[in-house]
Amino acid sequence: MTLEKLKSAIDKIKQQLTSDRASDLRNKYLGKKGLFNQLAQEIKNVDVKDKKEAGRLLNQLKSQLEIKITDQPINRSTDQQIDLTIPGLKPAIGHLHPVSQAMEEITNIFGKIGFTRVRYPEVDWDHYVFESLNMPKNHPARDEWETFFIDLPENKDMGKVVLTTHTSNGQVREMERLKSQPPIRMINIARCYRRQQDVTHTQMFHQFEGLVIDKNINITHLKGTLDYFAREFYGPGTKSRIRPFHFQFTEPSFEVDFSCHNCHGTGKIHGAKCRFCKSGWHEVGGAGMVHPNVLRAGGIDSEQYTGFAFGWGIERTYSLKPGLNLDDIRLLYSNDLRFLKQF
Amino acid sequence: MNILIPHQWLLEHLETKATPEQIQKYLSLCGPSIERIYDKEGESVYDIEITTNRVDSMSVRGVAREAAAILPQFGIGAKLTVETRLIASLHDNAKSRPLPQIINNPKLCRRLSCVILQNVHQNPTPNWMANRLKQIDANIHDASIDITNYITHELGHPCHAFDYDKLMKTGGVINIVEAKKGEQFQTLDGESFVTVGGEVVFKNKQGEIIDLPSIKGTANTSVDAHTKNILLLLESITAEKVRFASMTHAIRTTAAQLMEKNVDPHLITPTIHFGIKLYQDLCGAQVASEIYDDFPESNKPAPIKLDLTKIKNYLGVDIEVEKITAILEALECKVLVNKVKKQSVYRLIVTPPSFRPDLKIPVDVIEEIARIYGYHNLPSQIMDGPIPLQKPENSNFELENKAKHFLAAIGYQEIYSYSMVSAVLAQEAGYKLAEHLKIQNPLTDDRVYLRRSLIPSLQEVFTQNPLEKTLSVFEIASTYLPAGEAGCLHKKELPQQPLLLTLVSNKNYREFKGDFMALLDQLFIKNWDINKYVKILDNNCYALEIEWAEILKRAKTHPNYQPLPKTNSIVEDLTFTLNPQVKVGELMAAISRVSQLITRVELKDIYGQNYTFTLEYIDPNGNLSAKQLLPIRQKVVKMVEEKFRSELVGRI
Repeated sequence: MTLEKLKSAIDKIKQQLTSDRASDLRNKYLGKKGLFNQLAQEIKNVDVKDKKEAGRLLNQLKSQLEIKITDQPINRSTDQQIDLTIPGLKPAIGHLHPVSQAMEEITNIFGKIGFTRVRYPEVDWDHYVFESLNMPKNHPARDEWETFFIDLPENKDMGKVVLTTHTSNGQVREMERLKSQPPIRMINIARCYRRQQDVTHTQMFHQFEGLVIDKNINITHLKGTLDYFAREFYGPGTKSRIRPFHFQFTEPSFEVDFSCHNCHGTGKIHGAKCRFCKSGWHEVGGAGMVHPNVLRAGGIDSEQYTGFAFGWGIERTYSLKPGLNLDDIRLLYSNDLRFLKQF
Repeated sequence: MNILIPHQWLLEHLETKATPEQIQKYLSLCGPSIERIYDKEGESVYDIEITTNRVDSMSVRGVAREAAAILPQFGIGAKLTVETRLIASLHDNAKSRPLPQIINNPKLCRRLSCVILQNVHQNPTPNWMANRLKQIDANIHDASIDITNYITHELGHPCHAFDYDKLMKTGGVINIVEAKKGEQFQTLDGESFVTVGGEVVFKNKQGEIIDLPSIKGTANTSVDAHTKNILLLLESITAEKVRFASMTHAIRTTAAQLMEKNVDPHLITPTIHFGIKLYQDLCGAQVASEIYDDFPESNKPAPIKLDLTKIKNYLGVDIEVEKITAILEALECKVLVNKVKKQSVYRLIVTPPSFRPDLKIPVDVIEEIARIYGYHNLPSQIMDGPIPLQKPENSNFELENKAKHFLAAIGYQEIYSYSMVSAVLAQEAGYKLAEHLKIQNPLTDDRVYLRRSLIPSLQEVFTQNPLEKTLSVFEIASTYLPAGEAGCLHKKELPQQPLLLTLVSNKNYREFKGDFMALLDQLFIKNWDINKYVKILDNNCYALEIEWAEILKRAKTHPNYQPLPKTNSIVEDLTFTLNPQVKVGELMAAISRVSQLITRVELKDIYGQNYTFTLEYIDPNGNLSAKQLLPIRQKVVKMVEEKFRSELVGRI
């Protein structure tokens, strides 16, 4: 290092100090690893003939720094008695919508056991929403899906264009995506639409759909998957149960319940009726073993492969989180910041 | 469909000591779900959900039959009563009046049975029956009408009471045909309809419609206050035909909702007998004809072959063949067990009872075995086997989450707004109404068009939250393009549904844009001119709307590492008084281009028209000296003066 350079470095440090607002100047400049010591180490690189002069310059710098730093008016917060009770100043932060939070959690839970998340059209053919799911036109089972139709002409193979009433349109689509080659472990999360509106229904809502197809898949695996999800999503001790139901696209079909976190599936608390559930359990959605006709629609041999599927509303599933107490799901789509900021 | 069943009524068909709570719990686990137990008229009344495939359970007897199969699985004795009380005595006055002439078409009506009951007194409904009808939320009329509702509820097959004399006056003919288009009829409650063609109707000799069978009676033949003689008639119209007429005219009676689901025609025999008995007992009626019965073809469910291995395949456990047989027999199936030659494989041949047309293929039978065996008795385990690795293209949910979390962390609230919008909102996005997908059957006026932009929806958030002084929101959601000229009619192409990321904020522009640039930094996206995606809104907000696919194709999971410079940089500030026409972004780009040694140009400060820029110079080949820097700086100043007509503040 030349003397020239050293001088310029010294000037730089002095310059820096004049406008420095750091809270701990002493440490920064004169501490063990401070700027002064860093520069002082450079003296070993100075030419022997200049060493004396370099030492003088450095000593001068040190005393100047001492004076300046000591002279700083004592108004730095570090030197003050801090009032620890004063409220902190939070940065302005936003929030993920609760539905996003639930989706992310659900995706992660199923991701750990090998499910791949997918996304399929929300405006889809009748074929994928109903027909390929063993629900021919005019079938009474369609009544439960209050369907919105899009004002477009019908396609002779694919039928009308509809707003997806459930995420089950992903079933045959996923089989097609994987060229009818199991194994399949799909999780499809999407917006769904039905012509209904009340405290527990909004015209738009979200569902997640699980689909597993492989050799030797049976009901015990569906139960295992549901129990796993219940534990992960609602906490240890939560159980699931399946009860008989009917869907055209699964056989057997089930209704899925999760045990109430409040009374743990007993329906009673200290002998009195639990206020949070219907007799110990919460209904969350449907499930079943994939109907052979649906496997066939997806090009999969139902003699060789079996599978299960389940589909539930995100809003309902999320609203049952212990202690959340969300009883009107319309709030989720109210855009009310007082509500959304709580999540 | 839900059905209400009072406990004592159930016990008329079920011998059991089970309590209502036990019945609720165990039926719900293995059969129809008993959602609630009400206390009505001092008795437990079950509210039971019956699924659409199990119309055989849509009656008191149907539920009793399920209970008789299920309760013993839990060690509780239960037996279905024998139907002896349903056989009416027919000896009184048989054949004293002529039956109408019935012209059937077996393709439209699988069975038809009727009987004449004369001297029907329109007595008040007795208390015991009125109470039960109240318990099931049915209206009370008089006995001659309420009997039909009562037997439908008890046995599950609808029936209709015609005014016999009215019917005979119109010609005494029942012709079962499909209606032509444009024929008129009036239902018994006085409402008029015009046929669309294809509805199955009863017509008289003159071709007038005299009944909408299995759905609702018509005014011209139905019972009224002057009725003396009744023709009690039960028919089995093809389910699809019932559904078609019922849905077309929105006449959703209990009868229609049952008959469209394939009620077993065999039920007609016990139902008509029970009906006769009640008319005899409650209305003092006498039987005035034989029981007419036209049942051309009794198509019972076909036998189903089922290998024991397939049962294990679905249930995951071995169940003894004896147990399986017992379960199926409890459900009134006939079971034959064959041992397949030279293999120790059992094959079952299962013949379902006539009331179970829903049992068609092997898995239907497996469901019956599994539910009665008890799903709760099956183990619970996560499947092993290979994990599929083929991820979908064009989606990256991790990246979406990363963007969402980042935006939330820097102060943006995520919004989920409706995909369907009002006409006003649709147009606010800058598209004509015709350029939108439209819902054919909207539920409300504010949700008719599928949106093409998220901006109007997010702008609404600002008006909905007037107390939020500073507000920044975002949403990631699909939008929907119209189908185009050819549409989806010929091509199998769906309307496109691009996913958009939209930010709206009332921050100042530099901060707003900076937020988005910071997001791009997070996603390692460099050198992307996003100005064209910015919109200035009329509520003092800025919006930025961009197709997620555009971000996705540019985003990276990690940066391209740039080697750290081995030489020192020189950083200096230059302030120019900018000509008001100058676009700062263009000026800065031009400065960067002056020399390769200029590695960074940033806007540091603005004061009036004075803009201070920080420039960093690095020469990778050696430390720059002040001497070397001077010509570059001069070049910058000269370029700014000449090209942008803006002067440097101070001198170089």
